[in-house]
Amino acid sequence: MMIRLKVTGDTVVKATTEVGYLHRAFEKLLEKRNWMQCFPVLCRFCVPEPDPVEEAFALAVESIEGREVPERAKYIRVLVLELARMASYMLWYGGQSGSLGLYTVGQWSVGDRNYILDLFEELTGGRVYHMYIWPGGVRRDMPEGFGEKVLKTMDYIEKRLDDYDDLMFENAIFKRRTKGVGIIDKEKAVEWGVVGPPLRGCGIKSDIRIDDPYEVYDKLDFDVPTAEGGDIWARALVRRQEVRQSIRIVRQVLDKMPSGSVYNKVPNPQKWRLPEGDAYSRIESVRGEIGFYVASDGGLYPRRAHMRGAAYVHAVTLLERILPGENISDVSSILNSLGACPPEIER
Amino acid sequence: MKELKIKLTGQIKSHFSEIEEKDYEGNRLDFTVRKETVSSVLVFLKDTLGFKHLSHISCVDWIEENVFELIFIIWSPTDKLRVFIRTRIDRDNPVMDNMDMIWPQMNTYERELREMYGIVFEGLDAPDEFLLEDWDGPPPMRRDFDTEAYAQDTFFERPGREDAQDVRETLTKRTGEDLPDFAKKYSR
Repeated sequence: MMIRLKVTGDTVVKATTEVGYLHRAFEKLLEKRNWMQCFPVLCRFCVPEPDPVEEAFALAVESIEGREVPERAKYIRVLVLELARMASYMLWYGGQSGSLGLYTVGQWSVGDRNYILDLFEELTGGRVYHMYIWPGGVRRDMPEGFGEKVLKTMDYIEKRLDDYDDLMFENAIFKRRTKGVGIIDKEKAVEWGVVGPPLRGCGIKSDIRIDDPYEVYDKLDFDVPTAEGGDIWARALVRRQEVRQSIRIVRQVLDKMPSGSVYNKVPNPQKWRLPEGDAYSRIESVRGEIGFYVASDGGLYPRRAHMRGAAYVHAVTLLERILPGENISDVSSILNSLGACPPEIER
Repeated sequence: MKELKIKLTGQIKSHFSEIEEKDYEGNRLDFTVRKETVSSVLVFLKDTLGFKHLSHISCVDWIEENVFELIFIIWSPTDKLRVFIRTRIDRDNPVMDNMDMIWPQMNTYERELREMYGIVFEGLDAPDEFLLEDWDGPPPMRRDFDTEAYAQDTFFERPGREDAQDVRETLTKRTGEDLPDFAKKYSR
């Protein structure tokens, strides 16, 4: 992805997003994979946070087939999704502050992210790509003592968040460079398709986990943080609070985790035909709505699997609208605050 | 939820008599309309019934029936309902109206569908290239586009690329040495 800027002095006059440099024909590939073979492709849609993509696809497949998922698997899925959210926010800390020259935050947060990746490695066998959530449940149960390790990591990260606050949110440069920059018009936000933290940064309380709950989010107690202003600062405040909410969710999940099976076995994947039909499932990722439209013609492969990423709207139509008038040095910071993720556009 | 769905369905049907409805569980409504009616239905849903958020636009190539099916998925933040609006267009003459004045982000979806399926959106004002670069082949997401044949023609078997066939055989030819036994097992 590339943004072509037309400038007068240091001020952006016109911005045009040009995409395609990362296009790998994922959706075409999915049409030639059976329903289980899709998963090694799916996680590659988004490197920092692959689990919501797996979850969205699995939910769509389960919805077409009417397949039930065991209760324990639902809790484990929420645990994985929230850990992925935190890991992704740790990268965001680095990207957002790094775009303003504050590199230390990123060095700390990416270091701390590794503790979450350690947990993923133990649970799923992979640090970055997991292929852990799949139709019918999750691939395997939590290893013994895993819950305690997660809680220990949560305690550590919660303590570190105060350090990030001192280093990033109390920093005069960060405040000056983010307040009043990259403003999204609250009146237009929903209509323009803004989702996730950028929408909540406009003061609009919207979260798919609450509005259109999936898995067991309706049984958990958590807040949806919002902030006023619609600028980078507001979006950063929202994300800062969301990490704390994720920690809260993870603790509840481990507390309420039922016992039982984690996987309702699907038929032999080589012969597994889904009934005719289609479904659209959506998930709240760190960037906002991730959705999957999946259509089945009753065959071994998806007839169509089409992903909707938040960046598809944020980094094209929205970015082109809010960049004019901004200073050229703020462009990368605005881009980061919108969660622009090229693989979501160039699928 | 059920009463709300019945009420909204009634309102939509009273305005668009030819609309076909399909019943689904949960918070999903599903309607099929003629392609000429799509824009009016979308405007009605957005401005009158509060379906403000455009979630997704997708296309399925039903090559056996010679049609493209376009699916517009819209969400109501107030009623927490999801609506599917479907329409079918002729695959040989795939023409739709440009609708990016309803939601500006439709422009991006239309550009993608134009490039990947060859659907013409009349009145669409956007640069020609979106995902593909210097592409003069058929629209690649159509079902009759043979990915494997394209890859074979483009990336393999062309002059100068013979080495790409089997590294072991190539090395054997170059060095004149026989392959070790364990490697023979895997050699083509």
